[in-house]
Amino acid sequence: MKNIKTNRLLAAMICLLLAAVLLGLPDRAAARVYIDINSPGLKRLPIAVVDFAGVAEGTEMADIIRSDLDATGLFVFINKNAFIETATAPFNPDNWKPLGIDAVVKGTAEAEADGSLGVVASVYDVVESSNILKKKYSSKKDLIRPLSHKIADDIYEALTGQKSYFSSKIVFIGQDGDRKSLYLMDYDGQRMKKIVSKGDITMKPHWSPDGKKLFYSSLRGNKWGIYELDFDSVSEDKLYSSGTTDLAGDVTQDGNYLLFSSSAKGTPNIYRIHIGSKEVMRMTHSDNIDVSPSASPDGKSIVYVSDKSTVPQLYIMSIDGTDSRRLTFEGNYNTTPEWSRAGDLIVFSGREGGRFHIFTIKPNGTDLKQLTDAGNNEEPSFSPDGRMITFTSDRDGVKGVYVMTASGEGQKRISPRNIRAFGPSWSH
Amino acid sequence: MKHIILLLMLLTLVASGCASKDVTVPDDSKKGKGIGTKDRDGKDDVVKIDRDKIREGALSEDQIRAQMASLFKDIHFAYNRHDVAEEEKANLRKIADWLLKNSHVSVLIEGHCDERGSNEYNLALGDQRAQSTKSYLVSLGVPASRLETISFGKEKPGCMEHSEECWLKNRRAHFVSSK
Repeated sequence: MKNIKTNRLLAAMICLLLAAVLLGLPDRAAARVYIDINSPGLKRLPIAVVDFAGVAEGTEMADIIRSDLDATGLFVFINKNAFIETATAPFNPDNWKPLGIDAVVKGTAEAEADGSLGVVASVYDVVESSNILKKKYSSKKDLIRPLSHKIADDIYEALTGQKSYFSSKIVFIGQDGDRKSLYLMDYDGQRMKKIVSKGDITMKPHWSPDGKKLFYSSLRGNKWGIYELDFDSVSEDKLYSSGTTDLAGDVTQDGNYLLFSSSAKGTPNIYRIHIGSKEVMRMTHSDNIDVSPSASPDGKSIVYVSDKSTVPQLYIMSIDGTDSRRLTFEGNYNTTPEWSRAGDLIVFSGREGGRFHIFTIKPNGTDLKQLTDAGNNEEPSFSPDGRMITFTSDRDGVKGVYVMTASGEGQKRISPRNIRAFGPSWSH
Repeated sequence: MKHIILLLMLLTLVASGCASKDVTVPDDSKKGKGIGTKDRDGKDDVVKIDRDKIREGALSEDQIRAQMASLFKDIHFAYNRHDVAEEEKANLRKIADWLLKNSHVSVLIEGHCDERGSNEYNLALGDQRAQSTKSYLVSLGVPASRLETISFGKEKPGCMEHSEECWLKNRRAHFVSSK
């Protein structure tokens, strides 16, 4: 509690006063999908984001929105100097057709009486000459970034019919000198904050599906324990400690159970604990090492690492611990699996040619793909929609947190170079 | 740090022994376990000493410390293995004998790994390295209650280079005194 740096981060998450008011728009259910993101022959949508009018921050807001949309790989942009129409001029499709633009984002902002910022954002369909989205937002002036991400969320959803991840967070372990701390940042690497600086070693954290809690193993006074950080109460409690090696895995999608591994009965096996009642159930009963459990989004299966074949490989079992089957047969060191929340893929780190790389595989064992080829790449974690992956890489020398699409495109570092960063975990 | 605590403990024992002017050498030979100690009757165990001898006693504790430092060597493991290798067993037998003779000493066994592979898997592997080392000592008669284990996985390497030589050094069970 006292050692947790509260910051105003949650305040930022919660207090972001997004009084989003729909202003008489066409029925959402009947809305057209402009980009079918699941289409294999996907064509990028040409989009223009005009700098927002009314306040000095308007340009920054448009930049953030552009950057969010660009990172998805679903959109294509043209230089804004080519724009004919200004932010304040009424939308006219004839200004955009010659530029090959299909969708236009415009917005106006104004400082309100209480000092907050009021924004109206609109999305237009150039071909149909229609207004797809018009929404009013209100936010504190120093929360431009989360506000802009929220607007980008709505634009993305209006154009694709899917939920986005622009307001999501990535938590990771940062090492500054000898000390290892938990850090939290926006998905784009901005607004980074140190949140917990406690314990000798803290392992990769895992989110609760509602984004209000983190679970992680930490070594305190020569004892491993699993700790629960509650963002609402800004407090940390010990959830479980057997006195042996207890390692937090993923939380089940219903938010009720934390999967973990423990040597409580001699060998590291998979367990689950009910987060409310703290009731513990053992799920594997082997004489070998079983670690790193992650549950499928339907809550029926668990992927985990076992060395029952003498080397670490991925296995899938039922949620009750029965019907274990081997998933990976390529390579002789496959670890740290995470099941996509979309359900269709499992991402993991495997050794190939003496180095570790990120791979995806379907839960039925087909379609194995290697996504990285430079340096060592480990500890992958999916974005909430399963379309992006964050991971650790040492390709630039010092370990850092990277992101890429789930097919391996657009790989870039998002953590600063002055700290060793690893163990990233993307909020749900 | 832990070594220093152990040393202080040993020195304290010597000091308390010296206070009575008679140094009593603990006689474990009666239990038939002492290796290299001659069978003696009780009288031989009590040695009269003067001030010079006390100083000599302190020196001999230094020798004991040196003996311990040389005895509690790291136990090394093969890559991705956690079973105690045959060539490490003679060393563990010596450690067990020493622990049986020095029943006031408890030991923390740290399990460590080399830098390759995931943090989580390596913590599990380090756990098993510490456990198998403990099991072997228990099989030789050391009470389990005097042997604690902890895994540091690959988090605390002793050797920092990225080489086979360093990796071998880092795949280890390391001993420190506890309590």
